[in-house]
Amino acid sequence: MSEKRPLRYGMFGAMMRSIPLFGRDPLVAADQVTDRALVAVIAILTFLAALTASAAQLTAATAMRWQVMMASEVTVQLKPQAGRSIDADIVRASDILRGTGGITSVKVLSREESAKLLEPWLGSASSIESLPIPRLITVQIDTRQPPDLTSVGKMLSDAVPGASLDDHRTWTKRLGHLSDLFLTASFGALLLVVMTTGLTIVFATRGAMAGNREIIEVLHFIGADDRYIAGQFQSHFAVLGVRGGLLGGGAALLLALTLKFSMMFPDGLPFSGISEMPILDWQTVFVTFGVIMLVGIVAGLASRITVYRTIGMLA
Amino acid sequence: MANQLSCCNGIEISFDPHHALTTLKKVEGSLQAFPYRSVGELVRFENVGLRYGVGAETLTDVSFSIEPQSFQFLTGASGTGKTTLLRLIMQALKPTRGTVVLFGQDTSLLEKDGLTALRRRMGIVFQDFRLLDHLTTYENVALPLKVQGRDEVTYRAEVTELLNWVGLGELIHAKPPILSGGEKQRASIARALVAQPELLLADEPTGNVDPSLARRLLRLFVEMNRSGTAILIATHDLGLMDQIDGARRLVLADRRLYVEASDV
Repeated sequence: MSEKRPLRYGMFGAMMRSIPLFGRDPLVAADQVTDRALVAVIAILTFLAALTASAAQLTAATAMRWQVMMASEVTVQLKPQAGRSIDADIVRASDILRGTGGITSVKVLSREESAKLLEPWLGSASSIESLPIPRLITVQIDTRQPPDLTSVGKMLSDAVPGASLDDHRTWTKRLGHLSDLFLTASFGALLLVVMTTGLTIVFATRGAMAGNREIIEVLHFIGADDRYIAGQFQSHFAVLGVRGGLLGGGAALLLALTLKFSMMFPDGLPFSGISEMPILDWQTVFVTFGVIMLVGIVAGLASRITVYRTIGMLA
Repeated sequence: MANQLSCCNGIEISFDPHHALTTLKKVEGSLQAFPYRSVGELVRFENVGLRYGVGAETLTDVSFSIEPQSFQFLTGASGTGKTTLLRLIMQALKPTRGTVVLFGQDTSLLEKDGLTALRRRMGIVFQDFRLLDHLTTYENVALPLKVQGRDEVTYRAEVTELLNWVGLGELIHAKPPILSGGEKQRASIARALVAQPELLLADEPTGNVDPSLARRLLRLFVEMNRSGTAILIATHDLGLMDQIDGARRLVLADRRLYVEASDV
């Protein structure tokens, strides 16, 4: 007799059914064509959203790293002064810096090193030797106990004419501003993608409700309330949202992985600088899964709200 | 008519009030509706009129009541408003005028939640079955219990037994598109009965089946009535009505409802 057979599924089936993505008992009739198209649209949107979010996270992390690096180092510049020995001034400035608390190291750049920095503008001609090239001292700062850079700068300029201290503040501010701008733009793009996903789900839900009008009527007559019916639609579209999200998010992670390896080993050697960027670290994965969850939640909520707004008209 | 049916084995259905588990036993006997006991009306219509748009009223001054555990037929020629009257009872339509009271509640004052609660006390057999094609027979029949939030473990045996009772035990995994008209009708009846409603509304429940199956289906309704459910069957089949002793007849004609007295 049929009743001796398991009514539904075996133990494995029951276990899978407990996972929303794999085992549902849908009252909303699945429309294979529409559902697949919807999953594809959500996957593409999630892919774009995940890339945007990852790029924003990458930019923020890199900018932060650069800012920290710049904040931990200052540069002292000594301009050659008529009638003064620049080498003696360098020794004097170095002594002052080494005697100041909160400074961990002082490195004097040689004349050749300073000239090399100017090569992009002045070229490498031998005539550069005759030019009065400023000399540089790079100073590492203990970021936990930084010195008062204003008073250090004043002390240097008083003791050594032509000496100036550059704490990179201008660059740090510009970098921070640029990073904030990019983050804001990325957030806006992400918001637009999420809104598009929501609107797509709204239209899909309306279509599904029109297609399932008779089912909704029957459900009402057998005692289902609006909350139950809305829950069915919400579950249906949230699952489609998460499915699309997983596909799109997975593709974004795959792309990031490909990018990471292609940048690390373009010709067997890592790119300097770029390869140090935190592409596909745990934060990227976290952000991508965040986007997938967000898409699922937006899909479910958009569907639920649409059902509540539409069900009265159908009834 | 009683003789005709008494030659067949009747089926008696009883319900365990605690477990709501359907148990069956076969008994000899004729079909007779449960005698009326006026405990409080399940349905009361007072001067109800219904008009679609601006035309003449489809139903005029309809007044009647349905008592608990009663058995009645709603009859009349095609197009006289039998389905419309049932739709008024199941609150798919609102009357243009008059009062509809269901289970003691004036439906004009009902909120949506209250309407859901009332519908859970009714079972409905639709003329066109209204089974959900993407669900199995089992899932269709279990639906009223599922939407009430009951766990499947609590009703699986109950639904399976009911399906066996209506002769669909072998088809619990089948989906409606592959069922015959009679099988769909039985599945539809099982769905209406599974939550043990106080009132069962059936719209032409034997309209799509042969006379033999029609008698068998009618027997299901009688047994349900014996177990305490009030039955209202809309039909234009006079032969079907003659098979039940003691059933009241509500006759629709000229947009009005005429109530024939019960034999009991």
